[in-house]
Amino acid sequence: MFKHLFKLIWNKRKQNFLFLSEILVSFMVVFAVFSSLVFYYQNYSKPRGIAYERVWAVSFNNSLKIKDADSLKMFFENVRTNIKSLSKVQEITYSSSNFPYANSHSTTGFTSNGRKYDRINTYFTEDTYHTVLSMNLSEGRWFNNTDGVNKYNPIVINDALKKAMFGTESAVGKLIGDEENAKMKVIGVVQDVKADGDYLTAGYAMYNRIDTGSRKWIGDILIKVSPDADAAFESKLYKVLANNIKNSNIEIVHLSEIHDAKNGDVIFPMTIFIIIAGFLIINVALGLFGVLWYNISKRRGEIGLRRAIGASGRSVSYQLVSESLILATLALIVGTFFAIQFPLLNVFNIASSVYLVALLLSLLFVYLLVFLCSLYPGKQAAAIHPAVALHEE
Amino acid sequence: MLKNYFKIAIAVLKRRKFFTFISLFGISFTLTILMVATAFTDKMFSPDYPDYKRARSLYITRVQLENSKDGWINVSSASYHLLSKYISKLKTPEKVAIFTFSSPANTYINNKKLVIEYKYTNADYWDVAEYQFLEGKPYSKQQIEQAAHVAVITAATRKNYFGDVATAVGKYIEADNVSYRVVGVVKDLPRTLRNFYADLYLPYTVSKSDYKEVGLLGGYGAVLLARSEAEMPKMKAEYEQMIAKVPHGDKEFDLMYVNADTSLEAFSRNIFGNGANSGIWLMITIMSLVILLFLLLPTINLININITRIMERSSEIGVRKAFGASSRTLVYQFVVENIILTLLGGLIGVVLSIIVIYAFNQSNLVPNLSLSLNLTVLSFGLVICLLFGLLSGVYPAWRMSRLNVVTALKSQ
Repeated sequence: MFKHLFKLIWNKRKQNFLFLSEILVSFMVVFAVFSSLVFYYQNYSKPRGIAYERVWAVSFNNSLKIKDADSLKMFFENVRTNIKSLSKVQEITYSSSNFPYANSHSTTGFTSNGRKYDRINTYFTEDTYHTVLSMNLSEGRWFNNTDGVNKYNPIVINDALKKAMFGTESAVGKLIGDEENAKMKVIGVVQDVKADGDYLTAGYAMYNRIDTGSRKWIGDILIKVSPDADAAFESKLYKVLANNIKNSNIEIVHLSEIHDAKNGDVIFPMTIFIIIAGFLIINVALGLFGVLWYNISKRRGEIGLRRAIGASGRSVSYQLVSESLILATLALIVGTFFAIQFPLLNVFNIASSVYLVALLLSLLFVYLLVFLCSLYPGKQAAAIHPAVALHEE
Repeated sequence: MLKNYFKIAIAVLKRRKFFTFISLFGISFTLTILMVATAFTDKMFSPDYPDYKRARSLYITRVQLENSKDGWINVSSASYHLLSKYISKLKTPEKVAIFTFSSPANTYINNKKLVIEYKYTNADYWDVAEYQFLEGKPYSKQQIEQAAHVAVITAATRKNYFGDVATAVGKYIEADNVSYRVVGVVKDLPRTLRNFYADLYLPYTVSKSDYKEVGLLGGYGAVLLARSEAEMPKMKAEYEQMIAKVPHGDKEFDLMYVNADTSLEAFSRNIFGNGANSGIWLMITIMSLVILLFLLLPTINLININITRIMERSSEIGVRKAFGASSRTLVYQFVVENIILTLLGGLIGVVLSIIVIYAFNQSNLVPNLSLSLNLTVLSFGLVICLLFGLLSGVYPAWRMSRLNVVTALKSQ
C-alpha cells in the first residue's frame, strides 16, 4: 500500500518538488520557534535560586576619594551601621555591580586539573549576601568571619559549576586552580541563581568574599527591607545614603522591578517572533490547502474510477490524506537531517535535550498541519460520485 | 496590450476567489512586516530630532584597550581628559560636543519616586544637537565655567516633577539630593538615541565624579561636527593622525582603538564589530540574509499557488499557442499579470502598515518614538513588491510556456 503510494508520488516528483520545499522551509521555521520555546520553558521551570521580593539595590558609582584601604574599610562599616540602624532595614550586604538582574556582568575563567573552565560569573559578596537574597545552600556553608585569614582564598560555587568540575562528588574542601599562588578552596555550594531572569540559564557562578583588594571596586549595596517599607521610607533611606556617601550619584532600584524588566527583554522579542512565525504558518497552511484542493479536483477521473470498481468513500479519502502525509515525511526526513545537526554540533551551547524535544514537537506540528489541510480536500474527494466524475471524461 | 493584460488579470482574480485571497494575504502580510521594519530602521538611521546633522558628524563612543599577546580586551567610553586634551584641539571640526551617557538617579516628590536620567554636557553640545526649546535656553559657557547648578529638563520631566504647569524656568529641581535651577525645557526624545537621550541635562563641571582625572577610560562620548559634508574626509584624516599619537600609558595594553565613526558605523561597531573593524559589512550581510530567509517561505508559497492557477488555465494557453503566440509573449503576459497581483497585495500591505504603525505609535511601546511611512519606506516597499512579483512569477510562467499545445488542449 505505502509502496504503491510512494510510487505515485515519485512519478510526480517534479510537480511535488515545490510542495516539498515549502514543507521543508516551514518545518525549519517551526523548529526555530519550538527550540526557543522549549529552551525558555526548561529554564523557566527551574527554581529561581533567590527571593527578590523586598530587596532593594543601591548603586553609588564608587567615585570615593578614599585611597587608603583601612579608611575605606572604616567608611564602608560606617555606612553599614548607619543604614542598619534604620527601623525597616532587616539585612544589608555590599555587592559587586553584577548582583542578580543587574545589567552588569563579570566573568572569569581558570584551569583546574588541566581542564579549562571559562565564562564563570564572578560575584563579590559578604557574609550576609545569601541571607539578603535567601539563597539555598546545597552543600557546605556560606562565608563567615573566620574566612579572612586562611591560606587559600575561600569561594562558594554554584551547582552547575560543581557538576561540571566534580560530578556527583562532594566539592566542599576541594582546592581549585592549577596556579600555585592562586589556588581557591571551595567552602560551599549554592543552588543555581538565574541572574539574567527566569527564562535564561544560570550558567557557572563563583562567589568571592570582599577583601581589602576588591573593596575599592565595590559600588553597590543590597538591602532587605521589612514588608511595611514604602516610598516614604525609601525617600528617607535615600537621604541617609546621600548624607553618608558624598560625591556620588545614588540610585535605588527594587530587585522586583529589574527582574520584570529582564523577563521583558526575553518576552517582548519572543512575542514578535511568534506573531511573525504564526502568520507565516497560516500563510503556508492556506497555500497547502489550496494546492491539495486543486490537485484533487484534477484527479476526479482517477477517483471516479476507483469508486466505480468498489472503493469506499472512506478509503479514497484515506488514500489522499496518506499521500500528503508521505509527501510531508519526505520533506521532514530532509528537515530532520538539518535539524539534528544542531544538537550534534552543539550550536549556541544549548543542551541537546532542548533540540530533541523541539524536533519532536515540530515534527508533530507539521504532520498535524498537513493532516488538517488535507482532511477537507480528502472529504471532498470521497464525496465524488463515480457516475458524474466519469461522465465528464 | 498592457490594458488587455490588466483586464485579464482582474478577470482571473475574480474567478477563483479563494486562491486570490491566499495570494493577497501572503503578499500583503509579508510586505507589512518588511515595511514596518523599514520604518523602524529608517527612524534609527536617518537624521532625526535632535540629531539633524548626522551627515557631517563623527561619533566617538567607545575606547578599546587590547593586549594582543594575551587577548585581554577592556572596552569602555572615553574619559573627559582624552576628549578635552586631544580631541577638542582638532582644527577641522567646527564644534566638538562632549557629554556623558545618561545614567539614572532618584528623586522623591510627595513620597513618590521619580527616576531621572541625567547627562552632563559641555556648551557646544547645544549647538551640535538641535534641541527644540519649549521655554528658556541652554546654559552658557560662563555658567559652565562657574560650575553653576543649572539644568535643562525635558517636557516629560517638567510634567512629572512640577505637574501641569505652564512654565518651569527659574524653579528648582532636586535630583540626587542636589538642587538645580531650571534654565530651559526641551521637547521629549526617544530613548533609542543613546547619545542624546536624558531627562535632565547638567553642566559637566557640576559632575560629582572627578572629570579631571587623567586616564583614557571614563563615562564620556563626543560628537565632532564638520563645517560641511565635504570636509568629512579631511576631519577624519586629521582625527586619525592625532589619535595615533595619543600615548596610551597603560603597560598592560599595547593596542588602543578610539574610533570616530559615522552614526551607522558606530551602531554596527557596538553590535557586530570591534576596535579594528566596524563590522558594517557583517551587519549588512546578516540583515540581507535575514530578509532573504524571511521572504523565502511566502515566495515558495506564492509560486505554488501560481503554478496551480496557471495549470487551471491550460486550455486558454493551448488556444493562444495554437494561434501562434510565442512562449515569450506568454511568459511576458503572465509576469505582468503577476506583478499586477503583487502590486494589489502591496496596496493592501501599505494600508495594513499604516494601521500597524498607527497602533505602534498609539501604544507608546517605545515612548516618544513615532514611526512614519515616508518616501524611503514606500519606495522600499515598491521595490520589494516588484522583486516579489518577478520571483514568484517567472518560474510558473516558464513552466506554462513549455506546455505542449496538444496536451494543453486535451486536458479539458
